[in-house]
Amino acid sequence: MAIPGNKDTRDGIIFALPFLLVYLVFMVFPLGFGLFISFFNWDILSSGAFVGWANYRRLFQDELFFSSLWHTVEFVLITTPVLMVLGFSMALLVTGNSPLRKVSEHVFFIPYILSMTVVGTLWAWLMQRDYGLLNQIVRQLGGESVGWLTNPKQAMWSVGIATYWWTAGFNMILFSAGIKQISKEIYESSQIDGANFLQTLFRITIPLVKPTAALCLILQVIASFNVFGQVYVMTGGGPHGRTRVLTQYIYEAGFRYFKMGYSAAMAYILFLIILVISVIQYVALGKERS
Amino acid sequence: MRTHNRKRAFIAIALIGLVMLSTLWAAGTQEQTKQEGPIEVTFWSLFTGGDGEFFDAMIDEFNRTHTDIVAKTDTVKFDNYYTKLTTALSAKNAPDVVVVHQSNLLGYVPRGVFLPLDDLLAKNNAPLDDFVAAPLEAVKYDGKTYALPLDVHALIMYYNTDLFAQAGITKVPQTYAEVIAAAQAVQAKTGAMGLAVDNTTATYKAYTLTRLFMSMLEQQGTSLLSADNTKANFNNAAGEQALKALIDMVQLYKTTPAGLDYDGAVNAFRMGKAAIHFNGVWATGSFEKQADLNFKAVGLPPMLGKPAAWSGSHTLAIPVQRTQDPAKLDAAITFILWMTEHGDMWAKAGHIPTRNSVYEKESFTSLPHRKDYADAASFAFAPPATPAWEEVYSTTSDMLEYAVANNQNVKTALQAMETKINSIIASY
Repeated sequence: MAIPGNKDTRDGIIFALPFLLVYLVFMVFPLGFGLFISFFNWDILSSGAFVGWANYRRLFQDELFFSSLWHTVEFVLITTPVLMVLGFSMALLVTGNSPLRKVSEHVFFIPYILSMTVVGTLWAWLMQRDYGLLNQIVRQLGGESVGWLTNPKQAMWSVGIATYWWTAGFNMILFSAGIKQISKEIYESSQIDGANFLQTLFRITIPLVKPTAALCLILQVIASFNVFGQVYVMTGGGPHGRTRVLTQYIYEAGFRYFKMGYSAAMAYILFLIILVISVIQYVALGKERS
Repeated sequence: MRTHNRKRAFIAIALIGLVMLSTLWAAGTQEQTKQEGPIEVTFWSLFTGGDGEFFDAMIDEFNRTHTDIVAKTDTVKFDNYYTKLTTALSAKNAPDVVVVHQSNLLGYVPRGVFLPLDDLLAKNNAPLDDFVAAPLEAVKYDGKTYALPLDVHALIMYYNTDLFAQAGITKVPQTYAEVIAAAQAVQAKTGAMGLAVDNTTATYKAYTLTRLFMSMLEQQGTSLLSADNTKANFNNAAGEQALKALIDMVQLYKTTPAGLDYDGAVNAFRMGKAAIHFNGVWATGSFEKQADLNFKAVGLPPMLGKPAAWSGSHTLAIPVQRTQDPAKLDAAITFILWMTEHGDMWAKAGHIPTRNSVYEKESFTSLPHRKDYADAASFAFAPPATPAWEEVYSTTSDMLEYAVANNQNVKTALQAMETKINSIIASY
């Protein structure tokens, strides 16, 4: 017993109870209810009709489902590698000896505390093709206006850029913690042996930070698959649906078109995809550690 | 030491219990006093920004002039409005009156969440013949009235009088050819954008293309969907004319740049850098505030035939509650009728009133521009009354955008749109 006279089990349960209740009501119940609804045609306002696997059959024939899924995958591919590298680089700067390190830490992390609508609206205005600040600068430098959000080839990358600015700070925090865990003695002995910066980086820092990188990768992929806010606010899924991600289609199907059952079915497929990918990552990266 | 802790714990629990009890008691007391005062009509509106200010002014005026009813409003941020409304309607704890777009109303009505108002209107001697016919028809479903229209916000034409003068244009363009000619003349003479019509979704969806497409179909005497709303009705000569008109603006006549989004189009006109602009009446307010912009606003020209213009409409509806209080219902109807009667105040936001008596009020005729486009209410048409409408609207928008951006072959584009729209309607 940690404190004599207390009953740890009882106290533990009581302390955890409020969180557990909220968790059950807002996480576990909807998870189960969502699966339940996916077997119905339900428009929220009236009672549903049982349709068995029909919603799942329908989504495998829905080209909009596949194109939205592909756009989500595009987003994951555009953001994950860059955010990992950016986060790691920022962490290097922040854990190093540079005089800028305190300022950098704040500058890199502050965007993360902004809400997603603020970030989306801000970048949407910066990137507005005719009057946005970015293109004003481009034109001053003699270039042509870039269709950041209106060019179908550019739009997803533009959302990516806003995302880098917004969330790289979080990865920086994770990597900083990972780097700080590396024993100083290793660095000292490598310095005595005459290792330069690059050798230290590639032979010591990166290998020893792999567990953190694995965690960061798993979290990053899950978060990227769930992207909704920045895309919705900045491009509305446009131009002509080119950046509509699966979460947006799920939202539209459920809340705009009142096809709750279909929406739930798509959400469950997304959940399964993320689950499978996360498990694969966990197993593959876990093996490296041992 | 143990008894000391126990005593402390007991006191703490007693205090918390006391606080909880007093809160409950206070809540109970509040309800009692409310019933003795004026009837409270609770209300959700989706108006923010400029619209919101004018709307709040109307609510204040209503409350000032009515001692027996008090309207309490709670503005919901527009993006979340329909989500919040849907959840409240399904839980049957929506407020007494809600603002609903006419195009959304008919998505809710078949599900029985809004009260049919005919009996209440008759009981309160509502002056229904004072309403403009078209918007009142649009809120009827199966012969019953489910809301009252507060306004009509139609697609209209704004044009810059200075640029027109510089290019020597004296006649307001009416046909498609005239519109293009005017746009090109201004472009040649002044270098300004000829026709500021958004054709690309960025922050805002490029619904203007769909609104124009629907308007152009109606101008040719046909509509987007078949009469029973089960099939697409635009894969024909009329559809080809309409789509070609939209594509040519950008690709052939170059009066409109490609990749122009809503903000780009609005700001081009507002800064005096565009001759003609098609948009809803809601833009009037911000154009008026622009100091050096000289413009006129008129009904959408009958470019491909007879006058017809897409319009939305804000309506006021009464949700079905668990228990209906007749006094509250009467108060709600009084509130709704008063709001529509004071359309002159609402017109300050640019919207077109729905009551004929308002058109004669000096407070309305003295407003700039509003009376110039008020006649648009008479040739406005409602979107099809089908539960599939939201999905059809959104998908048509994406496909029209794609067709214009990629200079798609008109027949191919229409064929693809027809197939897609039919499959969407069939899924409902």
